[in-house]
Amino acid sequence: MNRKILNIVVNGESHQVLIEPHWTLLQVLRNEIGMMGTKENCLEAECGVCTVLLDGKAVNSCILLAGQVEGCSITTIEGIGDPEHLHPLQQTFIECGAVQCGYCIPGMILTAKSFLDENPGSRPSRDEIREAIAGTLCRCTGYSKIIDAVATAAERMAISGGSQ
Amino acid sequence: MSFDFHRPATVTEAVDLAQRLFPTARFIAGGSDIVIQINRKKIDPSHLIDVACLPGLSGIAETSDEFTLGALTKYHTIETHPAFAGSLRALIEAASVIGGRQVQNIATIGGNIVNASPAADFVPVLLALDAVLDITGPNGSRSVPLQDFIVGPGKTSLLPVEIVTSIRLAKLPARSATAFVKEGRRRAMEISVVCVAACLTLEAGGSRCASVRLAIGAAAPKVFRAKAAEAYLEGQLADQTSFAEAGKLAAEECAPISDVRASADYRRRLVSIMVERALTACFERTGEERR
Ligand SMILES: Cc1cc2nc3c(=O)[nH]c(=O)nc-3n(C[C@H](O)[C@H](O)[C@H](O)COP(=O)(O)OP(=O)(O)OC[C@H]3O[C@@H](n4cnc5c(N)ncnc54)[C@H](O)[C@@H]3O)c2cc1C
Ligand code: FES
Ligand code: FES
Repeated sequence: MNRKILNIVVNGESHQVLIEPHWTLLQVLRNEIGMMGTKENCLEAECGVCTVLLDGKAVNSCILLAGQVEGCSITTIEGIGDPEHLHPLQQTFIECGAVQCGYCIPGMILTAKSFLDENPGSRPSRDEIREAIAGTLCRCTGYSKIIDAVATAAERMAISGGSQ
Repeated sequence: MSFDFHRPATVTEAVDLAQRLFPTARFIAGGSDIVIQINRKKIDPSHLIDVACLPGLSGIAETSDEFTLGALTKYHTIETHPAFAGSLRALIEAASVIGGRQVQNIATIGGNIVNASPAADFVPVLLALDAVLDITGPNGSRSVPLQDFIVGPGKTSLLPVEIVTSIRLAKLPARSATAFVKEGRRRAMEISVVCVAACLTLEAGGSRCASVRLAIGAAAPKVFRAKAAEAYLEGQLADQTSFAEAGKLAAEECAPISDVRASADYRRRLVSIMVERALTACFERTGEERR
C-alpha cells in the first residue's frame, strides 16, 4: 500500500506522519500522535465522541480520511486548556457537574466551543444550545447540566469579551 | 479495504485521473457518505480522487437572476448565508437538519445530489427550486436539470468520470416563498421518514396561486415532484382548503414503502399533512414579504 507523508498541525504543533490511505483522522490522532482525549465509538459520525476542531469547526474525526486534512490545523481537547489554565467551558463543565462518566465530554466541549466561537459574545438560548450539540450524544444523559455549563460559559465569555 | 488517495490540482486533472483509473476510482468530497460505505464494505474502490480541494467548486455566487452554488458548498455555509434568509429559506431549513453540526461542517450539497438517496433532504429543496447542475467530464461541460439527473434510488445520469461542479438556482419572482418540513423518528440526527419542500408564488395583487412546486422525499423510489397537486393549485385561491386538497393529491401520487422507520400507510398520511403544512408556511411567508 502507498504510504504517504501527512503534514498536519495539531494543537499548534506541526507533525509529519507516515499514513496509510485508509486511515482516518481519528486513527492518526490517537494512534500516531497520542491525543487520547479524542474518543472513538460508533465510527459512523452518529455519536460525536470523536469530535475535533478542523480549522476551528467541529467535525467527526472518525469519518474524515487523514488524506483529506493534509495541511490543516486540528484542535483536540488537549489543545484548549490545561489544568492550570482551563478553558471557560472546561471550568463550567466542572462547576455545573456536567461530567458523569466523561466519555462524551471532550467531544461535547469541542462541539460547544465551535458553536460559541462562531457567534462571539452571544448568549445563546437553551434551545439553540440543544440544537448546536445535537450531533454529540451523552449516554449518561446528563444533558441539562451540560446545557447549564455551555450557557454559563457563554455568559462568562461574553462578559470577558475575548475568544479563548 | 485498501485504496490509493489522490489529490488532483484541477478539475481537468481530476477527470483525466478518473478516466485513467476507470472503473476502479471514486470521487470523494466531504466523505460523509462514501467513507461509511467503504467501512461497511458496501463498496471497495481501489482509488479515491479527492475533489474537495479543487478550485472553482466552492462558494456561492449571485447575479441579478440566479444563484450559483459550488458543488462543494457545505450545509453550514448554506445555513449562514444571508441571501437565503428570505424567499429561499427552505435551503436553510433543510441544511440545518442534515446530521449534526459536525456533519454540516464537512458534508457537501454535491454529495447529497450524487448520492441520490430517496430520503435525501437537500434534493427536494433543489428540486422545488428547479435547480440545474453543471457537470464537467472528458468531453467538456454540460448542464442538466436536477429533475432529469436523478433516475432512481441511488442512480443518476452522471458518468463515473464526470464531476458535478455547480448547482444553479433561478431567483424567485416577487410574492414567492419556500418552506422545507421534515419528519423523522426524533428531532435531530435522523433520516427523514418523509420530507417536503414547497415553493409558492402568488399572483400579482391577488391571493391565488400563480405557480407551485412541490418536491417530496422518502415517499417514492426517488425524490419526486407532486405534479398533480402542483397543477391543481395553479389558479386556486391560496387557502387552507386548497392546501389540504393538494396534500390529498400528493398522497395519491406518492409510492412509499414500509421499512424500519415507518409503514407505507403512515408515510402517505404524513405526505398529505406535510404538504399542507409546507404550503401554509409558504403562504405565511409571502405575507412577511408583503409587509
Ligand atoms: C451522521 C450522518 C447524518 C446524515 N444525515 C443526513 C440527513 O439528515 N439528510 C440527508 O439528506 N443526508 C444525511 N446524511 C448523508 C450524507 O452525508 C449527505 O447526503 C452528504 O451531503 C454527502 O456529501 P459528502 O460531500 O459527504 O459526500 P461524499 O461521501 O464525499 O460523496 C458521496 C457520493 O457522491 C459522489 N460525489 C460527491 N461529490 C461529487 C461531485 N462534486 N461530483 C461527482 N461526484 C461526487 C461521491 O463519489 C460519492 O459517490 C448523513 C450522513 C451522516 C454521516
Ligand atoms: S465515533 Fe465518530 S461520531 Fe461516533
Ligand atoms: S458523561 Fe457519560 S456519556 Fe456523557
